[in-house]
Amino acid sequence: MIALDCDNHFALWREQARTLLSHGIDPAQVSWAQGPIDDLLAVPRPLPEGRGPFQAKVPAALLSQLEQAGRYHGEQRWNLLYEVLWRVAHGDRTAMLAGDRLGSELHRRIKQVSREAHHLHAFVRFVPLPALLAEQLQLDLVAYHEPAHDILESASSHFADRLGRQRWLIATDRDAVRFDGQTLDYRRQCPEQWRQWAQHAEDPGAELWRTYYRHTFNPARLNPDALRLHMPGRFWRHLPEGMLIPQLMGQARQGKQRDGQALEVAQQAGKRIAKARD
Amino acid sequence: MQLIAKLGILADAAKYDASCASSGAPKRSSRGREGLGATDGMGICHSYTPDGRCVSLLKVLLTNFCLYDCQYCVNRRSSNVPRARFSPEEVVRLTLDFYRRNCISGLFLSSGIIRSADYTMEQLIEVARLLREEHEFRGYIHLKTIPDADPLLIEQAGRLADRLSVNVELPTDASLKRLAPEKHAHTIRQAMGTIQQGQLAVAGEPRAPRFTPAGQSTQVIVGADDTDDRTLLGNAESLYQGYGLKRVYYSAFSPIPDSPNSVPLAAPPLLREHRLYQADFLMRGYGYKAGELLSQAGNLDLDIDPKLAWALANREVFPLDVNRAEPALLARIPGIGLRSVQRLVALRRERRIRYDDLIQLRCVLDKARPFIVTSDYRPAQAELRSGLLRARLREPQAPVQMGLWG
Repeated sequence: MIALDCDNHFALWREQARTLLSHGIDPAQVSWAQGPIDDLLAVPRPLPEGRGPFQAKVPAALLSQLEQAGRYHGEQRWNLLYEVLWRVAHGDRTAMLAGDRLGSELHRRIKQVSREAHHLHAFVRFVPLPALLAEQLQLDLVAYHEPAHDILESASSHFADRLGRQRWLIATDRDAVRFDGQTLDYRRQCPEQWRQWAQHAEDPGAELWRTYYRHTFNPARLNPDALRLHMPGRFWRHLPEGMLIPQLMGQARQGKQRDGQALEVAQQAGKRIAKARD
Repeated sequence: MQLIAKLGILADAAKYDASCASSGAPKRSSRGREGLGATDGMGICHSYTPDGRCVSLLKVLLTNFCLYDCQYCVNRRSSNVPRARFSPEEVVRLTLDFYRRNCISGLFLSSGIIRSADYTMEQLIEVARLLREEHEFRGYIHLKTIPDADPLLIEQAGRLADRLSVNVELPTDASLKRLAPEKHAHTIRQAMGTIQQGQLAVAGEPRAPRFTPAGQSTQVIVGADDTDDRTLLGNAESLYQGYGLKRVYYSAFSPIPDSPNSVPLAAPPLLREHRLYQADFLMRGYGYKAGELLSQAGNLDLDIDPKLAWALANREVFPLDVNRAEPALLARIPGIGLRSVQRLVALRRERRIRYDDLIQLRCVLDKARPFIVTSDYRPAQAELRSGLLRARLREPQAPVQMGLWG
């Protein structure tokens, strides 16, 4: 058994996989460690040195599929990729198609990863810093987000397109990225100070957004399952509107469902308009 | 009145418009530039409210003062609702603030009719102009078009907005006359025609200034009057063909406070709305004709989806051999979507397709099973009568919500 560690770096995994493949080493003989405890009974062997005789040819599309799937956090993260690579390199292209058992898992991971990138684009919420602090930190906007997969590095340049010359920072529980208006600064380990700024930014202005959220909701169409399907509960606590969700559901169930209007509007005095003279 | 109070009233007044899409805009970026905003064709849903609907745009009215008296509308002049009016600068400020926070991808602005159709349209245009020209905003803008406004104003709006929409609301003349006496079917169609002309004028001319690059859309209300689904789908088909519409939105009529007797005070027909969206998607994406989906007057079945309904009514087409059938026919198998069709075609170039492959592709086999043949499977129910098959495949109906509506 060959025990490897690629430090969750795709480039490093790719080098290791290339060496293994050239020496014709079967996927069952390799294991990428994901923690200190792996296969206790395995007798460790080192990675062979240099390139072996087998010259593999794989389609270019496979490499980008493997890279994308490599961002997935889960069991057998790197082993699965080597198994796919092994089969395709030995002429079995079905391993990279969704119809195959292994390919199906590969595509499921790719889909989860791109869904998580989409979640980043959708659910990151920036807090604008007050002018004085912005000047001091050289940052206009900060956000804290917890993605389930390693998508921050590849997916965050999206915000440089959206926010022009604004300077912003996204901190997560693992990594972080900062933009100074010109270039992106990605850190595999989020500096503790960045995380502090992002998690503890005060935001009195969020009330405007919460007001909008409360009023665009139509209680007559209450459908909490659809909400949970599209916006999983794990994101709620980092959204300014997250705390409103249970409250609005409760109000709707307790009678507000009778029509579409929000309680706060129903309580205000109305105004009928006289018919215009022709 | 404070901005936050206005926002409450004018967001509440705008929620009955179903559309919140931010997709279809051309590629724009603000990287390294003054201003704000990007679009790339893909829409983003930044949040979901507990009604399960996506929040992609700031959807507000400029004002809910209105001279019209459309019976289905919460903002009709005889409605006893609180009223408010934004200045164009206030809408701009809210849009930019929410956009910077990444709460929205743009603005969907509509308005009650004040003073005149032209004046109202000018106000909407002024907001879009301020955003685009003063603030270099490159996010998504959707403007509601006032049907009776001057065509020159509509053209001006089309150059600033990604999408324009003119709401049909009620697809028959009789219903419009009864429920929305100030609206006229012919001016609604005229406005749609003006927008289409603007689009055709720049089509195929990459250097011409853009005109509603994300297309035009409309909305019809479902269940405020007695119009049936066949009329709704036929109407949608003619709009797609006649005016090149991108989307028709169906909005289940939500009961409104202070409801007049002319419209129902009942739970919105959400399942009916869902079936209409499914049927509409089959027309746009799969090439079904409205007449195929509903061959006679009436509504779509609620207990089975329209694709399954078509398959059950056309048993002579099935079972289809997934190893041989044309892709367009494969897409007509219930439980097999367009994406699965692409994947099946890719897989069958490599080898014969087996039943297990469909499981791996996550096809909905409960639905597909009676309609397919694979290299190792042939349906035992091929001879089963459609009536029996339907009884087996119908979706369990959730009990009707009593209590509030009893």
